[in-house]
Amino acid sequence: MNYTTKLLAALAMSVSVAGMAAADGHANLEGKTIGVAVVGTQHFWDREAFNGAVDTVKELGGTVVPVDGGRDNQVHADNHDILLNQGVDAVISILGDGAVEPKFEALKNAGIPVFTVDHQSPHAVNNTTSDNYYMGTTIGRYMADAIGGEGKVAVFNAFEGALRICGIRTGLWKYVLQDYPGIEIIQPELAEEFANAPEDARKKTLDLLSQYPEGTLDAIHVGCWDQPAIGIVQALEEAGRTDVLVTALDGGPDTLEIMAEDGSPFVANVAQQPNLIGSTAARNVAAHFAGETLLPQTFVDVFPVNGQAEAKAAYKELGYGSLD
Amino acid sequence: MTAAASPLRRVLDALPITVFVLLFIYLSVNSNSFLSLPTLELILKQAVPTVLVSLGLATVIIAGGDDVVSGGIDLSIPATAIICAAIVADQLTNREATLIWGLVLAFGAAGVIGVVNAGLVVWVRMTPLLATLATSVAVVGVTKVITESRRIGVTDPTIVFIRDGQIAGIAAGVVLTAIVALAFWHLVHRTRWGMNLQATGGSRDAAQISGIATNRFVVQSFLLAAFTGWIACTFVLARGSGSSPGSEENLLLEMVLATFLGAAFSPRRVVTVWGAVLGAVLVSALSVGFISIGVNVFWTGCIKGALILLVVASAAAGRAQ
Amino acid sequence: MAHALLQMHDITKSFPGVLALDKVALSVRAGEIHGLVGENGAGKSTIIKVLAGVYKADGGSVAMDGETLGDVNPRTIHAAGVRFIHQELHLVQHFTVTESVFMGQELSGPTGLRRREMTRRAEAFFREALGTELQGSTLIRDLGIAERKLVQIARALIDGAAKLVVFDEPTAPLSSGETKKLFAAIKRLKERGIAMIYVSHYLAEITDICDRVTVLRNGRNVAVFDDILPDSADAMITAMVGRELDALFPSSNHAAAAQMLQVTGLAHEAFSDVSFEVRAGEIVGIAGLIGSGREELVDTLYGLRKPSAGSVVFDGAPRTFKAPRDAVAAGMVLVPRDRRHDGLVLDMTVSDNVNLASLDDISTALIERRKAGAEKAAGVTAQLDIRPPNPAAVARNLSGGNQQKVVLGRWLTRGAKLFILDEPTVGVDVGAKVEIYTLVEQLAADGAAVIVSSSDPAELVGLCDRVLVMLRGEIVAEVQADMLGIDHLVALTTGGQAA
Repeated sequence: MNYTTKLLAALAMSVSVAGMAAADGHANLEGKTIGVAVVGTQHFWDREAFNGAVDTVKELGGTVVPVDGGRDNQVHADNHDILLNQGVDAVISILGDGAVEPKFEALKNAGIPVFTVDHQSPHAVNNTTSDNYYMGTTIGRYMADAIGGEGKVAVFNAFEGALRICGIRTGLWKYVLQDYPGIEIIQPELAEEFANAPEDARKKTLDLLSQYPEGTLDAIHVGCWDQPAIGIVQALEEAGRTDVLVTALDGGPDTLEIMAEDGSPFVANVAQQPNLIGSTAARNVAAHFAGETLLPQTFVDVFPVNGQAEAKAAYKELGYGSLD
Repeated sequence: MTAAASPLRRVLDALPITVFVLLFIYLSVNSNSFLSLPTLELILKQAVPTVLVSLGLATVIIAGGDDVVSGGIDLSIPATAIICAAIVADQLTNREATLIWGLVLAFGAAGVIGVVNAGLVVWVRMTPLLATLATSVAVVGVTKVITESRRIGVTDPTIVFIRDGQIAGIAAGVVLTAIVALAFWHLVHRTRWGMNLQATGGSRDAAQISGIATNRFVVQSFLLAAFTGWIACTFVLARGSGSSPGSEENLLLEMVLATFLGAAFSPRRVVTVWGAVLGAVLVSALSVGFISIGVNVFWTGCIKGALILLVVASAAAGRAQ
Repeated sequence: MAHALLQMHDITKSFPGVLALDKVALSVRAGEIHGLVGENGAGKSTIIKVLAGVYKADGGSVAMDGETLGDVNPRTIHAAGVRFIHQELHLVQHFTVTESVFMGQELSGPTGLRRREMTRRAEAFFREALGTELQGSTLIRDLGIAERKLVQIARALIDGAAKLVVFDEPTAPLSSGETKKLFAAIKRLKERGIAMIYVSHYLAEITDICDRVTVLRNGRNVAVFDDILPDSADAMITAMVGRELDALFPSSNHAAAAQMLQVTGLAHEAFSDVSFEVRAGEIVGIAGLIGSGREELVDTLYGLRKPSAGSVVFDGAPRTFKAPRDAVAAGMVLVPRDRRHDGLVLDMTVSDNVNLASLDDISTALIERRKAGAEKAAGVTAQLDIRPPNPAAVARNLSGGNQQKVVLGRWLTRGAKLFILDEPTVGVDVGAKVEIYTLVEQLAADGAAVIVSSSDPAELVGLCDRVLVMLRGEIVAEVQADMLGIDHLVALTTGGQAA
């Protein structure tokens, strides 16, 4: 099976999984008001997950109260207070850091069920997320292969301690690297900014490159997402150091485009389906109100992307258009 | 020569208030839950950090005069609050120190910032606007070094109490902030020290002629401002259940808007302590109101920016009259 | 005879190159109003600053109530009961009357400020000591100027410890009605036994309220008048002026030519109903004390301030100058009073300063032709004898007289029709003065009209054909200069004599 057919088969399967709840017929959100809180809408991933959730709630007959944190975790957390105050029937909360936990608890105590996206919480009914375990191990293997199993690697890792999904992704990446004693992770690890990631990562990469001259650095990995990779590739091109390879996660259209360029240093990625994730979260809300018992986590499939050809294929299959 | 206010001046004076009243009417009509007790409590709770830093900014403006460019201003208070929060969170979570020890370290840091600001303004004679902007940028940089740009969660029981606890049935954070605000009001508006502070900002020459050591008051105002940043850090930690990098930007915007808005609402059209508190609550009410009726968050930022312009410009135009 | 409350003996004070006070004595008796008069630069403000402890005297003694003060500084002088009412009001616009009166001396109790008590005392003081009703809660910005002056006085006296109050030009910004209000207050203070030193240029006021007068000239005592009568003003003027017209001035008498400027009914906040004309080839002086509206009139002619009424006809056409550039374009130029701030770019060279006003002439399509500019500047430097004769010299390093010549030289290159010179020789040494006067003569002889606004009566009498005298915002006299003596002019500007 070539890559495209693999991808198509997997896509068909994941859609059918997601379609099951709706197919039950009685699962709808008629007369329900659902708060949808998202940390920000500037980035593709956040926006798509948010749109997926909002569109599906409407499709199922519910009313949406959308709130947007403007890529500020504090504002995002505070927005939950407003949803609580507005007396919504359920809340779908997309991303967010530890600041939202007490807000979830307050919502739960008020009898408002919380459904999270990419954020595991003891106070949530269900968390819809990608298969982060698979993402972490796969990107570890791809990166190790790309640098021939040995060398020095820098990692942007601001959120391993703050977000559980990042803990999983980066933790498993490191777990895989344990079996490659020739690979060394440069200390201290780098920390990218949340709000202005590409520009911030560009500056930090330029600093890094001046510290590690040609031949002493083999790859830069972004532990939990892909926005910093945009700035990293820029910096590598500016400094003429495209021998340093780049790997990241999320696989949004912007980073797939970069991977698809000829001679791109950006060699491996794992693409998610954010719209489907948001949509699945909304269907889970409907299932919950229909009396179904949900598992603590719903996993949505991901697509490993290894190299230029697979990037072009994934771009097309995920419906972002054509790069040929 | 008469000193009566010109018609243009009166229009300029009334403009910010009119705009605010219209906005509130609009919010009340469009959101059925806007005028309710829970919303009021939410507004007050969310206003807490802004109220505290606005107290500091009001003190500096009162001591330095309310000319936006050459008068007193301290843009570094939010950065001070954030670095203090980072220090406390780092001590509590990463180094397993006590809250008291974290607060002591943070107090020292706030003191250094206050002294640097005062020094740059009084002895180096920099414009407060530039001096405190520079300090602010430097402090944000140091904060990133301390936190490595990472979020640090905090679960200290005192911080949790400030977040969730109640005193006499009212949110603990709101009660504590009200006490701090009352103390500031008394200090600035009901003591000799406060009158001399006001005289210093009202007319440096007049204050000097009256035997007031004006530089001392300017220095003390910057120290007090840093002090409010330090107090605010506890509430910032409580609000975010930890320290998050980057939260100073929103705080800065709200602080400046709140303080100058307070001036537009004061009968004498000058920055006052209670005006700053009222301004902070109104700004918080606007934020909550806009989100409640589903206004895009970027529009909210845009409207706040426009309001700052309106308030500051009408004050400047009023002065030119 | 009342005993001497204040005795200043043999006060000497010198600044680099200037002996400002030469063994000056000033003696004030208890309960009297003592006038202190003299021309600008006579040493009035210097001796007041010595008394205030702002300047340290080089020699002499100060005694209050017969006790010599060892160290004269602001603190000891305040403790001795001396208070100063500065010319500047020094009030905070948004403070209330009560807050202003108690500024720096607030009453406070265990629970903070005693606001009610302060208001009660302030209002009582206004009622009893100054004879006026003022609400303690009124904001300063809602008061008239005279009332603000009273607030300033109350602030100095509210502690009840004042024995001697020094008034420095208290009436300068006041209208005559407001002046009466102030005088009423001053007379009530006198009834309460408070002695006063009254410094003023307005001799009519001096003769009106003072019991005795000390006259200074060039840093020396020249006279003390013990009995003040309404006609004492003449004798005071003679004592103040004490000289005849210096031989600084070139002969002047210009044939009346075509009308260049006609001003009709011009008005502004600081002056009203001003009408006069200036002809080509004529030098017209404007005399007036600070606060007479003279400076504002000059600014208004030049488009720096907006007139509230009236019309200006210049060079045959009605004009409204909205900004100085309009005036310059029409051929009217101003040599401003504060040349260091308004007239010169101090860090530029002489050449650049000279060319500043005429860049159009020496530039082609926005490109400055530096060679043409340099030639022009060299010409002006030679013509005006600017020293050093080096167009590349930086303006900051020139002497006051030479700086002034640079400002003049700038406008010469424009070929203007009307020159307005505002205080052209302040801070200029005698030699440079003569050169500037000669230059002004030359301008008039070449057919330009010249207006000289000056606080130096000798300059006006010596240089001008005609002098307009302003007093409290009005032109009170218009006199041919050859009919005018310096003392006569001083009498007119000080209100010491009706026109």
